[in-house]
Amino acid sequence: MSGQDPGGLLDRLVDATVIERIVISVASLLFAVVVGGVIVTVSGTVATCREPAFVLADREFCYDPIELYRTLFDGAFGSLINLGLTLQETSILLFTGLSVAVAFRAGLFNIGTQGQMVLGALGSALTIGWVAPSLPGNIAGTLVIVPLAVLVATVVGGLYGALPGVMKAYADAHEVITTIMLNFVAMGVAFYLVRNHVGDMTTDSVQTTPIPEFARLSPTIDGTRFSVLVLLFGLLAAALIYLLYERTVVGYDLRTSGLAPEAADYGGVDAKRNIVGSMSLSGALGGIAGAMYVLMVHYRWETDMPALGFDGIAVSILAGNNPLGVIPAALLFGALKGGSLQIDFALGIPPELVEVLRGFIILFVAMPEFFRMIGNYAGYGTEGGETDG
Amino acid sequence: MADQRTVRRTAGIVAGLLIALVFLLVIVPGALAIGLKLLGIIDASYARSALRLTVPIAFAGMGGIFAEKSGVINIGLEGLLIISAFSAIAVMWFIGGGGTGARMIALFGGVLASLVVTLLFAIICIEFKADQIIAGLAVWLIALGFAPFGSIVIWETVNSDSVGSFDSLAMPLLSDVPYVGDVLFTATPPVFLMLAAVPFSWYLLNRTAFGKHLQASGEDPRTLDTAGVSVRKVRYMGVLLSGLYCGIGGAGLALNAGQFAGGGETITSGRGWIGLTTYLIANYNPVGAFLASFGFAGLDALQLQIQGVPGVELSSTLIEIIPYVAVLVVLAFVGKTRMPESAGEHYESEE
Amino acid sequence: MIDQRGVRAGDEGRESTYAVKMDGITKRFPGVVANDDVDFAVERGTVHALVGENGAGKTTLMNILYGLYEPTEGTVHVDGVPREFDSPRDAMDAGIGMIHQHFMLIEPMTVAENVVLGAEPTKLFGLLTDEDAAVEVTRDLAERYGFDIDPTDRIRETSVGEQQRVEILKALYRGAETLILDEPTAVLTPQEVEGLYGMFDELLGEGKTIIFITHKLGEALRAADRISVLRDGELIATVQAGETTREELASMMVGRDVLFDVSSKAVELGDTTLAVEDLVVDDDRGIRAVDSVSFSIDDGEVFGVAGVDGNGQAELVEALTGLRSAESGAITFDGADVTDHSRRQRIADGMSYVAEDRQHRSLVMEYDLLRNGLLGCQRLPAFSNGPLVDWEATGQYVDDVLEQYDVRPPDRSALARSLSGGNQQKFVVGREFERDPSLVVAAQPTRGVDIGSIEFIHNRLLDLRAEGAAILLVSSKLEEVQRLSDRMAVMYDGRFMDVVDPDEVTEEEVGLLMAGEQPDGGAGDR
Repeated sequence: MSGQDPGGLLDRLVDATVIERIVISVASLLFAVVVGGVIVTVSGTVATCREPAFVLADREFCYDPIELYRTLFDGAFGSLINLGLTLQETSILLFTGLSVAVAFRAGLFNIGTQGQMVLGALGSALTIGWVAPSLPGNIAGTLVIVPLAVLVATVVGGLYGALPGVMKAYADAHEVITTIMLNFVAMGVAFYLVRNHVGDMTTDSVQTTPIPEFARLSPTIDGTRFSVLVLLFGLLAAALIYLLYERTVVGYDLRTSGLAPEAADYGGVDAKRNIVGSMSLSGALGGIAGAMYVLMVHYRWETDMPALGFDGIAVSILAGNNPLGVIPAALLFGALKGGSLQIDFALGIPPELVEVLRGFIILFVAMPEFFRMIGNYAGYGTEGGETDG
Repeated sequence: MADQRTVRRTAGIVAGLLIALVFLLVIVPGALAIGLKLLGIIDASYARSALRLTVPIAFAGMGGIFAEKSGVINIGLEGLLIISAFSAIAVMWFIGGGGTGARMIALFGGVLASLVVTLLFAIICIEFKADQIIAGLAVWLIALGFAPFGSIVIWETVNSDSVGSFDSLAMPLLSDVPYVGDVLFTATPPVFLMLAAVPFSWYLLNRTAFGKHLQASGEDPRTLDTAGVSVRKVRYMGVLLSGLYCGIGGAGLALNAGQFAGGGETITSGRGWIGLTTYLIANYNPVGAFLASFGFAGLDALQLQIQGVPGVELSSTLIEIIPYVAVLVVLAFVGKTRMPESAGEHYESEE
Repeated sequence: MIDQRGVRAGDEGRESTYAVKMDGITKRFPGVVANDDVDFAVERGTVHALVGENGAGKTTLMNILYGLYEPTEGTVHVDGVPREFDSPRDAMDAGIGMIHQHFMLIEPMTVAENVVLGAEPTKLFGLLTDEDAAVEVTRDLAERYGFDIDPTDRIRETSVGEQQRVEILKALYRGAETLILDEPTAVLTPQEVEGLYGMFDELLGEGKTIIFITHKLGEALRAADRISVLRDGELIATVQAGETTREELASMMVGRDVLFDVSSKAVELGDTTLAVEDLVVDDDRGIRAVDSVSFSIDDGEVFGVAGVDGNGQAELVEALTGLRSAESGAITFDGADVTDHSRRQRIADGMSYVAEDRQHRSLVMEYDLLRNGLLGCQRLPAFSNGPLVDWEATGQYVDDVLEQYDVRPPDRSALARSLSGGNQQKFVVGREFERDPSLVVAAQPTRGVDIGSIEFIHNRLLDLRAEGAAILLVSSKLEEVQRLSDRMAVMYDGRFMDVVDPDEVTEEEVGLLMAGEQPDGGAGDR
């Protein structure tokens, strides 16, 4: 009997069967929804509103949780434009989610997707700014500049991801700490560069000049900026990463190196190099997410990019770090983001609620034991407790 | 002994920073002139504001030590600061009035909120065996969403109304001591609490049985268990202490400012993360963590004051990232920061 | 505070001759009966050995006595008083102390801090620990029992033998009257073992009682007054050490007659498969671990390396298998110089390796057996088509291994972590043996493996030899090396003290070699 669980969640996530994972993810989602509902309802007694949503025991409640989720759903899928907004978020979340999942799958925590995305976005925006003037403003220009921007973002993100990989492999610095710190460094450096050196000096806001029309991915759904190309590219990336890990020797080496470096060495693989490799791949995907944000959504780099990198953590964890699972998880979080505007407009509920929900979903998925206990308590337990010795 | 090693290490880091500074002053054109101008800024009022800014960082840093020493990595320090800052201001707003007494109640409210969240975090990590890193991230992300959410609910914008801030109190007699008295003993209650917490933390960790148990629990919980001490209790205590400290830090920050700002990274603006860097840089020594916090807060205060100095162009952004770069350098090159052996792992007592 | 003389109010005057008496102990784990109606009694002031194979229930029985487990049925009497222990603390209060096989010491703390952990002497009304008192108390105890140890040393800086003494001091500090030692000799040199027996005498002189768990029969006969044998959770017999023999104990332990010489020798030797010349290897700290070692192994030969752990065997093995680079010297494998070949190349060349640390080296605990079956083989043509893994072929290979090596459960989707140590090892051995290797490096191939699996692994090793493979067997189990090897080297401090014929050499001679002494009287350090 070993008293300690040496690997923590990662082990148990790998342990769990696919069905178990899905059950845990769905249950987490439901719990988060309930907790979110309670928070909103209670907040409703504090908030001031013109007319309460309902009155109970002489207390006025400004917010109605059922109405909240109905509106959220409606805001996400209720119209073509809403759907477009949702898919626009989903497309980028596919990349940030994959970025986190690639590392997680190999036993590495990359909390640094946000920073990799910020720098990738900046790299692509600047590249376009420098190269675009010498290109024709037609489809030929597009065919050159879009791949180039993505490539630069991939390289920038990949290098920035390699950094914590190197620190982990060769200096034994915990990647959780280094990637968190590197996020702040990335944001600070990008802010500094754009504000003082490479930004649009004609305005007070910290941003680059907008990218030209021909470098923008044209919207597929009018009234939104959603481009189906990005979605397809994201789905393709998910499939490729799935195949990489499931079918290829290189993927096997990457995973083994992260999960058990000594065993990887034993198997004739340079574990340190592969750890750097996993983190670079993860960073590259973060960089691509940044490029997509510039090419599809914002058409420029601007400070205070949305926290899509942190959302990526939520996506990956909800997906059980499975590259294919990232697809529905990205859709879910895309819908939450898409719908959050509507709950603000229609119900006056602060859209930050969605961030609270995101936090709770992560929290619940992180404690599968909780659901096993509930399952056992309710008599649905499949195993009679855990004995490993 | 370890203390000596710590001293040598601290001396090394300080010397390194000084050398870097001198180097910078020499090679960057005009830096020397700027440096001299900056020296002019440093006075009692500067030191006081640096100490005030130290409060959240040092409390987060020292608190984090207790949790991690016990074997539970609390990466949610930033979240706890946010929660207590928001709660303290909310309590203050609901009380709606006056003096230092009311502010102490608000401080207590902030601490209580932080403790409640920390208790949940502890239960989740210890009983439900959640991954500590992910649970800590979740605490941060929830706080980051909840505080502005709450602000909008209460004040209809992400920033709170202004509720008034702590006044400086002068300690009788001590405040009359030349030089130091003015800086250290004329301050707000959170600053006093911090100055008391530094030696208290050091003693608790190094000179009490609880401190030894904390260390054993993080290094090798099974050994502690077989020695007849409950690992669970020790870990709960360690984590709750981190919540208590963050509670004081966050509430102190907000009540020193008199307002909660919920936009972006909120009023705490990453100070919990900087707290995390301080104890890693100081290799889990609370005194070192405090000194590092004071250093970073000093830079922060400098950066605020520079804006008023004509002719000095220093990027505040670059100054802001110094703590993060510093910890990266320490982790990668100094390389002696050693996490407790069993930090991050669950421990299950047999039977 | 704990009374260090261990005299407890209330226990005085009850004159029971038994320090410990366990009646009808049964312990069930889900699916396993670890102890089945065991009656076990230890007379005060004696050394009592508890022998049995791995998994016979020795440790479980002692964990019950130490309060780590609650018995499913049965009662425990200490000094004639019935006791129910909810935790080790209760057992300690009753005067039971346990020294685990894996030491329970906090590495960064000092000897004194470890000794008093959980029962620290304090000052200022318990507010602060009294460090000086802790050092003082430790020093006094050490002096009383004649232990040579500095209370202010950090555990990190102490030797294994010293750590064992710290463990004993820990128990004594807590007032232990009865000391349980779990496999205390596993990590010691023969000479350190003698030192341990000396300590037993000191402890008996102070009126203590000693229970020690071992599976080495020689030790039990040498050091114990009485011996109890456990098999499959049942207590087979308790005998006087002076009235039994090694053979009798062995047959009680295994349940059938055991032949101590089963090795079938004399296979025709072929060409030289592996030749090592003046190999020099450093360890992780840059300290010389292997110091100009030369030897060769032929086809169809088992070359054994005996020695106490930590004398360079691990580094030698890593250098041969390509996991560590040699400082100088040459390794020739199948006629080619492979000194600079990577691990990957050596695998491709036909080198198999059963690593000592299966939990980290030869298995990925988070992977299922299918994925573990690919480890090391992922670039062999039989297991991959270019960049793609051939999971079908891998699956078939894994299924074959599972069947032939009787791995349980025989399920390729089982996680490595969920298997018992013996089954994990059988799987690794199967994976490495069935690749048709020309050289097998087997390091501690039967460590932590049950006796059934040990026999199986030994037989497979001999089969492989018969098929013409060269085998390097490194083990700290002298019996094992002696039984299986055609030639045997004894390693001490990075060198081969001698290469001997295992059939000719006596255990005493090997013991001296293992301790760095030449049997003819000359010192080992040339």
